[in-house]
Amino acid sequence: MSEGILDGIRVLDVASFIAAPAAGTVMADFGAEVIKVEPVGTGDPLRYSLRGPGYGQSPAHHEWFVDNRNKKGIALDLKSEAGRDVLYRLCETADVFITNMPQGPRERLRIRYEDIGPLNDRLIYASVSAYGEMGPEAARTGFDSTALWARSGMMDLIKPSPDSPPSRSLPGMGDHPTAVSLFGGIMLALYRRMASGKGGHVSTSLMANGAWGNALSIQAVLSGGEVANRPARENAASAVNNFYKSKDGRWFHLIMITGQARFPELAAALGRPEIVEDARFATPDARTENTHALIGELDVAFGRLTASEIREALNRGGFTFGETHPISDVVHDEQYRASGAFRRNKDPRGGAEYVVDTPIFVDGEDKAEPKMAPALGQHTDDILKDAGYDEAEIANLRDQDAIG
Amino acid sequence: MGDSILEGIKVVELATYIAGPASGVVLADFGAEVIKIEPPNRPDPFRGGHLRGSDAPKSEYPYGYIMDNRNKKGIALDIKEPIGRAAFDKLVAGADVFITNMPIPTRERLNIGYDAIRALNERIVYASISAYGETGPEAGRPGFDSTALWARTGLMDLVKPGPDSPPARSLPGMGDHPTAMSLFGAIMTGLFRRERTGEGSHVSTSLMANGVWWNGLLTQAMLCGGEVVCRPPRENAGNPMHNLYQTRDGRWIHIIFNTNLHRWPEFATLIGRPELGDDARFETQPARIENSALLIPILEQAFAERDLDEWVRLLDENRFTFGDIRKIDDIMTDPQMFEGRVLREIDEPAAGADYIVDSPIWVEDTKKQSPTMPPELGQHTEEVLRAIGYDDTGLAELRDVGAIP
Repeated sequence: MSEGILDGIRVLDVASFIAAPAAGTVMADFGAEVIKVEPVGTGDPLRYSLRGPGYGQSPAHHEWFVDNRNKKGIALDLKSEAGRDVLYRLCETADVFITNMPQGPRERLRIRYEDIGPLNDRLIYASVSAYGEMGPEAARTGFDSTALWARSGMMDLIKPSPDSPPSRSLPGMGDHPTAVSLFGGIMLALYRRMASGKGGHVSTSLMANGAWGNALSIQAVLSGGEVANRPARENAASAVNNFYKSKDGRWFHLIMITGQARFPELAAALGRPEIVEDARFATPDARTENTHALIGELDVAFGRLTASEIREALNRGGFTFGETHPISDVVHDEQYRASGAFRRNKDPRGGAEYVVDTPIFVDGEDKAEPKMAPALGQHTDDILKDAGYDEAEIANLRDQDAIG
Repeated sequence: MGDSILEGIKVVELATYIAGPASGVVLADFGAEVIKIEPPNRPDPFRGGHLRGSDAPKSEYPYGYIMDNRNKKGIALDIKEPIGRAAFDKLVAGADVFITNMPIPTRERLNIGYDAIRALNERIVYASISAYGETGPEAGRPGFDSTALWARTGLMDLVKPGPDSPPARSLPGMGDHPTAMSLFGAIMTGLFRRERTGEGSHVSTSLMANGVWWNGLLTQAMLCGGEVVCRPPRENAGNPMHNLYQTRDGRWIHIIFNTNLHRWPEFATLIGRPELGDDARFETQPARIENSALLIPILEQAFAERDLDEWVRLLDENRFTFGDIRKIDDIMTDPQMFEGRVLREIDEPAAGADYIVDSPIWVEDTKKQSPTMPPELGQHTEEVLRAIGYDDTGLAELRDVGAIP
């Protein structure tokens, strides 16, 4: 096996759910040894909680595979002194400590930066919070659906029309990009450590990632501009930057942001060259003037064609467009495999031939071969032996239920 | 060594719009010297984004350009002119990082692919963003975040109020900014690797890969042979305890009661429906899900009895997790946005704002660079060229052929 970029880097993932553990997944991809620390008995709630209505259902443990693959697992009772001592001992030889526990539990379990930092001055303590490490809401709990999606204005603005009820975010949709931010922070700190020899505290928050995602609109408002809910598609400001539905029910997003000069070509490509013969649509100015009527014409044009006819016509003409691909398309989409967005998986326990890859690629570096995420406490004994515990000490810890 | 982590790191950016330039901003925040190259006659089209926008908000201030190009130096240079190209080559030879989000055919035409850049500088970290990936049948295809990240990955089809609803567009830059963080992470990985091995590398990300990463859980469910359906509208939500309710003042609140389930009676009392606490139909989460159609109207009525502000206060005081769906104007008066360091002060009258949206990572014992205005087109042309050895004669030669303004 070739050595990964992060070979020799040891990461403690003292985290649950998605946003922080997924940063560990990115590190494991690049060869870090990632040890997932979970509570004895219960484990990370991600093991069992994302299965209700509204979540994806599959016969495999898909969410666990995506966010915890290629890790080792140890079960520790951090509420007990003996369990915490084990964690502290692991910190002495670790390079990175990842957590997304809220500040209350960090304090109760004594795993704040102030607790962990002094154990090893080369250690990088990387934390994710819902609303930031400082400020009046620093201790408040939240999920990506609340702190990132609802709080940033995105949820209020991303709707089909101003009157529409809001849409919920999808599971993990804000956690995954937040994890990438944390990964970037960790790499920045590891880079600094090469020169300074010192670790430090890096952090990100769900709310900050929400604001970063919605930064342009927020910055517009900060500059005194106005941001309004976009009108329904029937009343869109531009007919050529809008959604149209095909005969077979698929939505296309036409995007001509550089102007309407090619509109006659577009009308021809859609099989309705006569649109521009109508005086209302004969010139770019006239078309802008009569946007509402033009949307009606394009509704008819798109509605007469099937999705594959539309796709072919727009591609042939070199028009930029998007389609609302249903997720069932995605799994058959050749470009995902060919571009590396999906990576081949050979571990049958993953339950799939491909795993959704982390979105960071380094040419010529093979990422770690995907391996199913650990069972609760799967590597407890190995990790403890590696840290210098002998059989008797391990048995003693087990007797006290400090490990599992 | 200074306080800044990336002090001494020189970045050459040949990128436009958002996803590429925004990763340069993060590098600049941590002290890198970022030199943005624009052709003298074809500046980054994003410069005018604040005036045009059919989709982006209009403003007299170039808010978007400030966001994504602050703290950079700017050079106007025509690399299609041979002596302009020679200057470019010299800049690249002295750089640590090269950032581009040009589509692959453009990179080939300009001869700025990885091989060409590496030939000038073996230690460089070449960082590229594409719409659909660097390989595969659609590698050369152009795209925006609204298409490659939002529409292509199932996100747009699934993030809507109900299965029959038309889709909702992504917001300007909403996919580009997180993609820039992926590229930033990739660049730091490349720099770290270079410290270990001495070698440069080609690191990359794509809008599409970021979209599928956001939607990774549901996508993996599909890859595992499972099923994903568009969620029903809120009136018919499968789980009434993970649902949206409208408040008396017409705002929305997102209730997420899926941990500490033993607190149900407390929750019921809080919403003024204590009798629900021991109602057998709703006593357990499975029962509440089972009887969703009965519970949703009850909760709708309960939440319509108070304004959003009151609910926020009550739920917070009682430590329940929920989301209050904020309007973008709320952000300006949101103390946590300021004290939680999401917004950072900018002391530049030309910015038209006292704060900018900060990059979403912090390293505690290091300061980010104070935000400054982005460069005017070619503002630092002379300075940058002199620093790599051009004198008056050399500059005049470049100017004579129009390679610099």
